[in-house]
Amino acid sequence: MNGQRSAKSDSQESPNANAATLLSYLLGGLAFWGGVGWVADWALGFSGLFLPIGLGVGLVGSIYLIYIQHVRS
Amino acid sequence: MGADVNVVAASESGCHIFGHGCGFEAPGVGLFSPTPWLDFGLPGAAGVNKYYLVAAVALIIAAAFWYFTTRRAKVVPGRGQSMAEMLVGFLRDQVTRTTMGKEGDRFLPLIVTLFLFIFCMNIMGLIPGLQLPVTTSLAFPAVLALFVFLLWNIVGIRRHGFGGHIKARLVPGGVPAWILPIVVPIEALSNFVIRPATHMIRLFATMFAGHLLLALFAAAGFYMFNPLSQMGALYGALSVGYSAIALVGFLVFTAFELFIMAVQAYVFVLLTSIYLGEAIEGAH
Repeated sequence: MNGQRSAKSDSQESPNANAATLLSYLLGGLAFWGGVGWVADWALGFSGLFLPIGLGVGLVGSIYLIYIQHVRS
Repeated sequence: MGADVNVVAASESGCHIFGHGCGFEAPGVGLFSPTPWLDFGLPGAAGVNKYYLVAAVALIIAAAFWYFTTRRAKVVPGRGQSMAEMLVGFLRDQVTRTTMGKEGDRFLPLIVTLFLFIFCMNIMGLIPGLQLPVTTSLAFPAVLALFVFLLWNIVGIRRHGFGGHIKARLVPGGVPAWILPIVVPIEALSNFVIRPATHMIRLFATMFAGHLLLALFAAAGFYMFNPLSQMGALYGALSVGYSAIALVGFLVFTAFELFIMAVQAYVFVLLTSIYLGEAIEGAH
């Protein structure tokens, strides 16, 4: 989402839009990888081992995506 | 702009401050479940209720606005036509052009229609006698957000082909291949589930909370108004003072809510425009 739009209107991009995108990345990362961790815990018979790992991976992945899409570019 | 009809109806138990000792009953989510006039007994359906009426009124107001402001359009615009032109110009300059450039002009009719329709649905919360914002029913923002989501996909697929659109939405550019298994599911969930969901919930939740707050002030004003208190004239006067404070709060928050109604309609169409701009643009 950073191609033409950023080039033509970097200064005009709405803070609301940015906030919405960042929020969806953070929620997506936590929900997906947290969910994978929870399923792994349930399937392998652990209690609270893979869930925090999954949440951590999801958070790091989300922050990395935000960095790639909105900071580095 | 009087007290909410539902609130007053709910408060007809006669409970007042400095009265019989019964407490204040705050308005709850029951405000948003009006009694159905026609119920077909369909599972998960609320039946034909007040939401149908206020949605129809909102639609008529939006349509009437365009009819009366543009039916005798002239080169030198009158007051109504100027207002319509200002609205279109504002949305073109602040929404479609800033997010999609000149190409956004193609979507301007959609954006203008969405904005006015959502704004009209929102202001139904302030129309005396109706006082129920249509967007406090999750179904209405959900359908609008679903429509935008479908359009976003259609525009992307028409522009870049199915594979191109899906790839653009799932695979972020400049990411090493070994990180892709981690970030592609996040992109998928974010773009195809969470974004349309937050698009819908933002509008719904803001209007829901705002209307509940107004109802609370109205109910509090009613509860605290007890000039004929059995506890004496002093308490009666005190209750009138309390009630006046609640009334002032009600008026202030009504004005604030009007502003929020416009802002939420604007945010909805701004996000719509940004999503469509992304679909046109394609790859990251």
